[in-house]
Amino acid sequence: MHIPDGFLSTPVWATLDVAAAPAVLYLTRRAQHSLEENKVPLLGVLGAFVFAAQMINFPVGPGTTGHLVGGALLAFTLGPAPASIVMVAILAIQALVFQDGGVLALGANITNMAVMGVLAGYLPFHIWGATRWHKSALFAGGALSVLVSACLALAELLISGVRMPGSVLGVSLALFAVSAILEGAITLAVMQALERLHPKTARPLQPGRPPILAGVALLAVLLATVGVFFAAGGPDGIERLLNLHPASLRAGFWGQASAGVGGLLLIYGACLVIGRVARHRSL
Amino acid sequence: MHPAVVERWARGSSPLHQRDPRAKIIALLVFLIALATAGPGLPVFAGGLLVLLIAGLVCAGVPVWGVLVRAGIVLPFAAVLAGVTWLAGDPTRGAVVALKSYLSALAVLLVISTTGLPALLRGLEAMGAPRFLLQVAQFLYRYFFVIAEEARQMSRAAAARGASARHQKFGGQSFRAAAGALAVLFASSYARAEDIHRAMLARGFEGRFPLLGEMRFGRADLLFTILASLAPVALRFAVERTFA
Repeated sequence: MHIPDGFLSTPVWATLDVAAAPAVLYLTRRAQHSLEENKVPLLGVLGAFVFAAQMINFPVGPGTTGHLVGGALLAFTLGPAPASIVMVAILAIQALVFQDGGVLALGANITNMAVMGVLAGYLPFHIWGATRWHKSALFAGGALSVLVSACLALAELLISGVRMPGSVLGVSLALFAVSAILEGAITLAVMQALERLHPKTARPLQPGRPPILAGVALLAVLLATVGVFFAAGGPDGIERLLNLHPASLRAGFWGQASAGVGGLLLIYGACLVIGRVARHRSL
Repeated sequence: MHPAVVERWARGSSPLHQRDPRAKIIALLVFLIALATAGPGLPVFAGGLLVLLIAGLVCAGVPVWGVLVRAGIVLPFAAVLAGVTWLAGDPTRGAVVALKSYLSALAVLLVISTTGLPALLRGLEAMGAPRFLLQVAQFLYRYFFVIAEEARQMSRAAAARGASARHQKFGGQSFRAAAGALAVLFASSYARAEDIHRAMLARGFEGRFPLLGEMRFGRADLLFTILASLAPVALRFAVERTFA
């Protein structure tokens, strides 16, 4: 799932590099503050553990084995921001030393696996990890982390103009589902074994999250991963608007770009306001 | 191939090895961007870049054939993508992707095998990347070999007890055994990290690694940056002039 250089079109890798840089800066700062003391050795050694864990094979079926990817496991034990930073470090070393993933495509790989994958994997644990469905949260976390990163990588390839026949797309989605279930099962099994070894491994959570937040969050993740494939068909709101006002097409690059950024900011602001209101209501 | 080989190559003393890591990072980025955005006349441009990279490898004194083979790691991915796009009726795209990804990997290998990861990370820090992240990466790289050896020992021990995953029927028991092994590895890594941290504090660690030898961006580095960045760009202009 590590995208090498040359696979993505220039707008796609450049945008994701620009997007990943502030995300990594923000997560670095959060990771630094979320750990009680200087835990650089802890993050580094656990990163090495995730790397090395790929050498331990899990029996999947006759003659086939799988291995841990690790984003969700790190998020459960270290918290989301430190786990992201560890994954960023792993991806950077894989790109530089092992030629596993490109250097220009590093922003894309970081966005897919270290940012979105880790956060999506942490989501179920955050929402219902402290309830009696603890085990299902661990499983869903592992599965979601892999599913989200894989779907994002596929979407980036499609946006880059790689044409795929429908059958190939279907097969790859099926493969994603299988590897997601596998990662979920491995994550769950390792977490259970860890809880037997050290009962306090998983991060403590305060119970009692509002269930509506859980619903909204899961719906958002599902829309972002699966919804993409349904959205491609008909003209969306922006395209319909363009058909109504064809003059806006003549606005040139800067006009269109600022319109796009403005729209994004509007949506972001709306989400922020709704989030604040929902939080005050539920508390 | 073992990644430690790259670190051994990085200990050379050719003119390329002596350049400041920042100079090589800038040149690498220019090279990669020139390659990634190239359109018309790509085969000729790629041939020129290959000659440039091989010249660099020869100058650096690293085994040319070994590096050329190692960069081929990306080719299986490119082959899969080529197959898929060929099925979709877009046969040239696979070749373009294979060329670009192979040359990009080769360029990264040339830089890493004349610099080494620790020096490269130090260069990135000097260029403004967050120090916390780079320290995590440093630790990760240092202890990767240690933890990987531990993992190898554990799986060898499991195999000696007759528990090789490959020869076993799928079953909950062997799956749980592998999970247990990973949990033990996790716990021992965690304990090791705490030991390391205590030892570092005892030796007076104050939040940053002391440098052995300052980095200096001298006149030769400036000249190298300009020439090495100019070469791919000039080559591309020349190729596009003749093909467009």
